[in-house]
Amino acid sequence: MSRHLFSKRCLAFTACLALIALLTAAPSVAGSRILGTGAVSAIEGAAGGGLSPWAVLTSTASESELGVTASATRARLDDYRLSVIGTSVNIHDRMEFSIARQTFELTTLGGEIEQDIYGGKARLFGDVLYHPLGIWSVGVLHKRLVDGTVPTALGADDTRGTDAYISASKLLFNAFLGRNVLVNGTLRNTSANQGGLLGFGGDQGGRDWVAEGSVGVFITPNWIVGTEYRQKPDNLSVAQEDDWQSLYSAYFFNKHVSLTGAWLDLGDIAGLPSQRGGYVSLQAAF
Amino acid sequence: MRLTDISARHLMLTCVLVSAWSLSGCAQRHDTSTLYARMGGQATIDAVVENLLYRIADDDEVVSYFTNTNIDLFATSFATQLCDISDGPCRYEGPPMDRAHQTMGITDAHFNRVVAYLDAAMQEEGVPLSARNDMLGRLAPLYEEIMRLQ
Repeated sequence: MSRHLFSKRCLAFTACLALIALLTAAPSVAGSRILGTGAVSAIEGAAGGGLSPWAVLTSTASESELGVTASATRARLDDYRLSVIGTSVNIHDRMEFSIARQTFELTTLGGEIEQDIYGGKARLFGDVLYHPLGIWSVGVLHKRLVDGTVPTALGADDTRGTDAYISASKLLFNAFLGRNVLVNGTLRNTSANQGGLLGFGGDQGGRDWVAEGSVGVFITPNWIVGTEYRQKPDNLSVAQEDDWQSLYSAYFFNKHVSLTGAWLDLGDIAGLPSQRGGYVSLQAAF
Repeated sequence: MRLTDISARHLMLTCVLVSAWSLSGCAQRHDTSTLYARMGGQATIDAVVENLLYRIADDDEVVSYFTNTNIDLFATSFATQLCDISDGPCRYEGPPMDRAHQTMGITDAHFNRVVAYLDAAMQEEGVPLSARNDMLGRLAPLYEEIMRLQ
């Protein structure tokens, strides 16, 4: 109950921050990078497209600048509900650190699973706009389940684990009907079942490489529409796991506020088939 | 017989080449699909450069790079470069980008700000989005040259 209250308070806090940012929109505290190049907050806290972390670093902070974001996300599936609150910091467009708390409500089965994710991402080289090879980053996501009872009962080996990934993002100018196209590819080494919500490893396998990718078109400089795909491991014999995909639309009101909506198709989750639903995420950046 | 054969072929080839050349000439004169034309020609490019300079003048940090710059010369030179890069009837013959910006201490933050000013200037001068994207895409590779000797 108190956790629910905490989550609701954080959502309200993010909404307030977003509203203040929208109303004041003080350009002096915004980073120098071009609007939209900080992407949005992925469900694991890192800057990305929603399902997958991207190579770009959060907010619009550039060299010698700092950026901070707060985000609140809700996804409503047929038999589950996911809430994520997170915050991230960008140091000189070189390092990104993030924290996220996921609350996964089993609306049909009953109960909930909570997970904390601590992320770090470093830009190796490049720039999403100017470098011919785009921007390349490596990152880690250390995940800890608050209570591992359900995942352990399903056969997961561990209640904590760490993903490592390498990611590349590139904006292709004037690539589709005069519009700019953003492409991203991520290779992730992980043992996480359903992103870690169902624990780590299992009777069918452990650590493995998975591929994730997305393509989006900037309809206007403020509005990107695209699709994302995330390959998943399948470690638990009692709970078949499928790849995730989404169709997303993200609107950047300015450098401080973005609102993302998505349609999700997450396949089977914990024995319940073909989970589909909607996704809304609000981010405030300073 | 053979000789006339060859000369007939020659004539044919020459005809084809000449007509292709004249067609491409016509195409160049009347083609509205060059970026230069889609930008709105030299008038718009000149307006964009002027608009950009006003924005730079308002940015205390960025304008400091121009303290020893002849602004009129810079404006003409940059307009020529934009005309050249957008396939207009100009040829940029100024210094290469790395030498033009060497040891100025330009940071990524400054570079990003100027890009944002240029895009805003193009937008304000009525350059359509697709032409703006095209122009920014053609300018983007200059980043490496400009930053090479910082």
